[in-house]
Amino acid sequence: MRDVIVVGAGGGGPVIAKELAERGLDVLLLEAGPRHARPREEWTHYENDANHPLTGFFRFGPADRAKSAWFRETPQSSFVMQLSGVGGTTQHYFANSPRAYPGVFSGYSGPDAGAYDTRHRFPFPYAELVPYYEWVEATLPVQTAAMGAKEEVYFQGCETLGIPVQTALTTTGDSYRPQQNAILQPGGHAGRTADPRLLVFPRSTGCTFCGHCSQGCMQPVHAPRNQFAKRSTDNSYVPMALTADAWSPGGRAAELITDAFVTRIHTEAGAATGVTWRTGATGDSHREDARAVVLSGGCTENPRLWHNSGLPDPNGWVGRGLTDHHLDFVVGVFDHDVGNSRGPGSAARCDFPGRGALEQTGFPPALQALILSTSDSGIRGAYTNGRGPRGPWDGPAGRVLGPQLADLMQDGGHDRLLNVLVLTDDDVEPDNRVLPSVFPADAHGPVPKVEVHHRRRSARTLANREFLARKATALLRGAGARTVLRVDMFPVPLHVQSSLRTGLDPRTSVLDADCRSRAVDRLYVADNSALANSLGGPNPTLTTQALATRTAERVFTRVFGGDPWVRTGAPVVSTDVRVSRRLAELGL
Amino acid sequence: MTEPPSLPRRAFLARTGGLGAAGAGLAGGHGRAAAAPMPGVEELIGLVRPVLAQLALDTFRGLAAFALPGDDAYSRAQGTPRGRAGGVTAEAGELVEASLDRFVPFPQEVARPLTMALVTATAEAGIELPRHLPSELGRLDAALRLLLRGDEKIPLSLVAAVLLGLLAAQVNPAATGGPFLSPFSRLSYRDKARAFELLEHTDSDLVALLDTHLPQPLRGSVSGLLKYLGSGLLSLVAFGCFTEHAVWDAARRDITALPVGWRLTGYDGRTDGLDDLKGYYQGRKEAVGRA
Repeated sequence: MRDVIVVGAGGGGPVIAKELAERGLDVLLLEAGPRHARPREEWTHYENDANHPLTGFFRFGPADRAKSAWFRETPQSSFVMQLSGVGGTTQHYFANSPRAYPGVFSGYSGPDAGAYDTRHRFPFPYAELVPYYEWVEATLPVQTAAMGAKEEVYFQGCETLGIPVQTALTTTGDSYRPQQNAILQPGGHAGRTADPRLLVFPRSTGCTFCGHCSQGCMQPVHAPRNQFAKRSTDNSYVPMALTADAWSPGGRAAELITDAFVTRIHTEAGAATGVTWRTGATGDSHREDARAVVLSGGCTENPRLWHNSGLPDPNGWVGRGLTDHHLDFVVGVFDHDVGNSRGPGSAARCDFPGRGALEQTGFPPALQALILSTSDSGIRGAYTNGRGPRGPWDGPAGRVLGPQLADLMQDGGHDRLLNVLVLTDDDVEPDNRVLPSVFPADAHGPVPKVEVHHRRRSARTLANREFLARKATALLRGAGARTVLRVDMFPVPLHVQSSLRTGLDPRTSVLDADCRSRAVDRLYVADNSALANSLGGPNPTLTTQALATRTAERVFTRVFGGDPWVRTGAPVVSTDVRVSRRLAELGL
Repeated sequence: MTEPPSLPRRAFLARTGGLGAAGAGLAGGHGRAAAAPMPGVEELIGLVRPVLAQLALDTFRGLAAFALPGDDAYSRAQGTPRGRAGGVTAEAGELVEASLDRFVPFPQEVARPLTMALVTATAEAGIELPRHLPSELGRLDAALRLLLRGDEKIPLSLVAAVLLGLLAAQVNPAATGGPFLSPFSRLSYRDKARAFELLEHTDSDLVALLDTHLPQPLRGSVSGLLKYLGSGLLSLVAFGCFTEHAVWDAARRDITALPVGWRLTGYDGRTDGLDDLKGYYQGRKEAVGRA
């Protein structure tokens, strides 16, 4: 009998595992995909090797890359960017760590209180979460991003928008700023050289500006795993969980099992009692019991597991209310190099509380071409699918393909592109959802279907997206773009949230205010699916991790009779040398 | 599952390029002399499978030229030749075919009825057939019947290729004959775009037609699936045009030459660090306070 079983080692699960292991509980962390324990041997900087959606080492599939990816039904033009493996989607995320807007929490009474999704707020005030934000920001740690060439250009555009620079952690109004990101800032020679002799730890520390955030961070060369620049959970929380006995008095190292796809949550007398998982390499099933189970498998997989386990869904909201920031891209074409493919993936942003956010985003060429092809408005210049919105950008929105793609990309063209990602404050809507597919089951049971309506969204969501696309265009023109292209992206559920949402109203939420299932005792949720809404547009990972920290505290006090710690204690930073030392001793 | 009547299968073969592909396979690639005894049906399956794979690859090469034209025959055929290597040379077509067949766990319970529905839809699409159907057609038809009824896996690349072939024939009936195996690859750039327009169109007649030929509970799910497939093809091929896969040495986990996409763009993505740090905006290295 374990104390706690955590299902999924992505952005949220490892947070729970680390916090509870630190306090001496017996924690089992299960991950369906692989752990890339030796990135220099398992990863490369190459885009196909890393990012091919079916074969790359960052895909949604089993540990064995010779095997097929996992099929998920998407009944629309879209692509669900799930990742398996320890770290989940944080393996390729850009580490942006803004806090949510205060207006998405209950009790908010600012002058713009009516501008948000007022029916689906968080079931507690913003101030309640601040200590947990601070805890996570110190643990990762979160720092102010440095500027590269693309950020300089982006800020030039921001300066023309008539909005102020934000210098604080909490966003209170329209503003722009460098990202607060979970990336160790460049030290020594990092960011100042391409000379491989100097790009070695400890001569270089933190971000080396290599431009490969999407291919996984393994910089600088020879750095201990917990001192890699990007603080994805495989570099931060997982190493801490696995070494908790070395740096926490009374701590107990969590056990991590990979290649372990959980197929069932077990219950008795209305309470979770354990899980069954299937080992990919052998097909064998295993079962373990625990005093509490924490679901952290992601916004698609959690509802699937819930349904496949036959857990109660009394109000029908399991899998409903999926939010995805209704993403879009607006791309500026410049006459000069703006450094698209260099430096961290995203280091500057704008915030428009009540509307959403914009962020500068850089890509290497293949991902850049992919982004330009993800439109619901057909092929630019050929057909529009009945859309092709026009506005202050140039021509109708649409996929950039064929001769226009070749013209755009050739002779350094990709480095003359500046991408602005539109993160829409989108409403929680019951018809955007994860449900069981009628397609045949796989080895893990019935597969999920991810239904995201691109054209049928609330009027507020649609208006927010158009507002932001126009702001992005103004920003790019202000920065000197010669041409501005709008993609009108089809659904790419990348920032997915709220499919098992916490909320005040039991009729429209699955979890109570402690992120505990209303229907099953001792079953908690600790990843993006627990979020109450889309946060107003800010990137979800930091809030997920803050909420998971709070949930860990609730599990510890409610189930195990322990004392809370966040308001009284001091966090250990994940780069702590004791973590590095123990990782080396364990060969991790 | 109801077996489609033989005439639709023959029409399907003729209209989606299967005829030309199979004809090429029978005449050439297998060393069979014209005077030799004609193969039996079982053996024909062995001949049909590789030629259908060839048909799929030819289709995806046409798709690669569509995504990134270059100095290749497919780009010339679509009327947008360029002076430098493009998606065909980058082997984006090969990438798409291998990806679909080896790594998309597309359920056979869906692939098989979808292929059958395509067969029937092709027959009903009102496309002119060549006036004199060659005699091989009967044998190919038998082979296709066995393929559809048997336990063998239907490759997803074939489903996608015949879908594009069907769309091509709808856009331009003349595409059922000409250079290349694939009707899609015979289209002009603008007609290729029109083929995708048919696929992506919300209320496509084609999709409605396919839907009526699918058994429950799949009926109604296929329209979303086809949009997903069509959309995925365009995104995957655009990605593939700029990656290193054509020059990848799996054993060394490294490239053997500069990828086409890198040569076109001037990108070199091998470095562990770059000199691009410009400092901190307004000199601030820390955010402070709660508001």
